[in-house]
Amino acid sequence: MIELDTAAPLDQHRATVLPAWIDWNGHMNVGYYVVAFDQATDTLCKQFGCGFEYTRDKIGMTFVLEAHVTYDREVKEGDPLRITTQILDHDAKRLHYIHEMYHATEGYLAATNELMLMNIDYATRRSAPWPDFAMERIDKVAAAHKSLPVPKQAGRLIGIKRK
Amino acid sequence: MLTTLPYELPELETRAPLDTHRSKVLPEWVDWNGHMNVAFYVTAFDQASGAFMRNMGLGRRYVDGKLGMTFVLETHVTYDRELRLDAPMRFTTQLLARDAKRVHLFHEMYHEEQGYLASTNETIVMNIDYATRKSGPWPVPAAERLEMLWETHKALPRPAKAGRVMGLSKGIR
Repeated sequence: MIELDTAAPLDQHRATVLPAWIDWNGHMNVGYYVVAFDQATDTLCKQFGCGFEYTRDKIGMTFVLEAHVTYDREVKEGDPLRITTQILDHDAKRLHYIHEMYHATEGYLAATNELMLMNIDYATRRSAPWPDFAMERIDKVAAAHKSLPVPKQAGRLIGIKRK
Repeated sequence: MLTTLPYELPELETRAPLDTHRSKVLPEWVDWNGHMNVAFYVTAFDQASGAFMRNMGLGRRYVDGKLGMTFVLETHVTYDRELRLDAPMRFTTQLLARDAKRVHLFHEMYHEEQGYLASTNETIVMNIDYATRKSGPWPVPAAERLEMLWETHKALPRPAKAGRVMGLSKGIR
């Protein structure tokens, strides 16, 4: 397993807006923000030993239960992205976290994605506790993230705000 | 504000919820878990939002004619059940609220043959002025349609999965 990164927030994931991610409005399509965020989830899960190999080797899977995205600013083809990840909460089989996507050179916040992820048993395709190796690492990263302020985009309720 | 639209609008579908959009799980939407990836649920729902917008008179011709655009501000998805390659999908769309430049929509995605609920999506879509790329009021013909739609949607019960705040049951520490 890779060396554990306890930086708070996790600040490893980088990406570039691909041509296929652009829609007729000339910017990254709403679905592809989630593609980019899902790849950042892979970067997070790799930290816990629950990345691609976890599924390839038929040990387990991780499924998203729920997701909330705020689209804060447009990004265009070729833009470099920096995605940071903060763990908000966790239990025996779930992980609650938020990604923040920044334009890597201009620095502005482009979007956020709050997620609930669940560990899945490979054979039954049903929820199951995190394996011990993952739980130990999740506990360490969660402890490192515990003192971070909760981003204002976390725990949002959708609605049209009356002025 | 645009007072007219320079193309013929489609016949207005006032049935509530809107139940016209259909789709299918494409090969490129399936991930290493062997099911539709989380991101492509959002893509599929975005196409259902597109169907709602077309019904308002704001389809592709609205963008191609450089009249305006619609941007999603925020979206909330619940992933209720898996969908595999080629699964046929049926979408229903309820208008939860609206104002001069935004709509608050609630989509439900069903497996069209097996009938089960696969996912829900609550979303806010805003009208955008083409030239400034900033928010602006709906064109008048679209606003008129929106009011007619609101009349038929407003009495629908609020979906149980609307207005969710995410968290483990014990809440954020």
